[in-house]
Amino acid sequence: MGTVITIDVYPLPGADDAWTADLRRRLDRAGLVLRCADDVFSTWRPASPVSRLRRGEISISDVPPEVTAVMSACQAARRVSGGWFDPWAMPGGFDPTGYVKGWAAQQALAAFDGLAMHGVLVNAAGDIASTGRQPSGSPFRIGIADPGEPRRLAAVAELTGCIATSGTYERGSHLVDPHSGLPAARVASASVTGPDLGLADALATAIAVAGTEGLDLVEPLAGYEALVISWDGRRHSTSQFPFAQISDAAVGRLCQEFCSPATT
Amino acid sequence: MRRAPIVIAGTVAGLIAVLEFHTTPPKVTLAGGSALQPAANSSTSATSPPASGKSPPRKGARHRATASSTAKPAGTPAATRTATGPRVNYNYGVLSVKVTASGRKISKISIAYLDDSADPRSQMIDEQAIPILEQQALQAQSANIQGVSGASFTSEGFEQSLQSALRSLDI
Repeated sequence: MGTVITIDVYPLPGADDAWTADLRRRLDRAGLVLRCADDVFSTWRPASPVSRLRRGEISISDVPPEVTAVMSACQAARRVSGGWFDPWAMPGGFDPTGYVKGWAAQQALAAFDGLAMHGVLVNAAGDIASTGRQPSGSPFRIGIADPGEPRRLAAVAELTGCIATSGTYERGSHLVDPHSGLPAARVASASVTGPDLGLADALATAIAVAGTEGLDLVEPLAGYEALVISWDGRRHSTSQFPFAQISDAAVGRLCQEFCSPATT
Repeated sequence: MRRAPIVIAGTVAGLIAVLEFHTTPPKVTLAGGSALQPAANSSTSATSPPASGKSPPRKGARHRATASSTAKPAGTPAATRTATGPRVNYNYGVLSVKVTASGRKISKISIAYLDDSADPRSQMIDEQAIPILEQQALQAQSANIQGVSGASFTSEGFEQSLQSALRSLDI
């Protein structure tokens, strides 16, 4: 899980004290959800249920319900990813980190359901869950860091839902090839967009390991798209990856180099 | 042992929000005036009405409150304390993290020292919260994006230096 999670709420004009009080309660809930997820799943906390499970101190029947729910979701993600995402093949035992970061951010996002607003973004160290749009009515636009030079952008995506990015340049990289058990990353960075951030997170992890052939896993998945940046800097993507339109005059020079032209 | 996640939250455009950074649930208060006002002007109460409720948000401007403002509870001025963590290796070189706190509440996280190439920079890099520093820099360059997916600046080294500074402040 990312050390710092940012939550940006885009309020409607004239939001009043009652709205702010409601927002405050929801922010508290979102913070609680994120901390609880950390308490339960963090492999850095020796006393977390997942850590204890990994050490064999407890069995599956002893874990909190969130763990079994995540395990089920990870089984589905393993199937969908053709085994390239496999938390059971991680060193030290079951490690759902590649799914949980996204899952937790999505859970936190749910705290804002029903709040009157233009939209909200929960950004967990680059895994982003969102609902709504910018106040202008445009979709949220998310820059994708250039893995070769992370202060630059490689692309800009229009966001409807979620985006997750995986790559070895991130701290605490846990990219292990489940088939060999060895650290591996066939591409520099993989980004996946879609409605569920946990699954997007798992798929991004899988594709970062599998490489461009991982795009074939995502192409048939309705609602999910993927972008890969290979070690030579080239981009490969699924057919409908939501690149932002270059026609927007506000797009900076950096983006113009990389964004796809508008398509109809 | 790693700490629980730090959650930074705020409202963007339409309302000017002042953030308090916590390692416990996040707080949001409303302040009149610009988000760029110095901390001294940002004494607030939770019931103050939004100052810019009627004005449309500036295009491309994200008024997510920056770390440079601190809300102080009325009548209980808290001493401002700072601590700088050790210099540590991070992805591109060496850095140390500085934490500013008001009482036990973090008001600012910034970089005290950064050496990412041949030229060390020892002055304060920015007023912004460091975990979103790179994001902000990218957004400033690239106009009209609301977030960045990918490179996380929360490197192992950053976290070590930050946590050391937090321990010094007993937070």
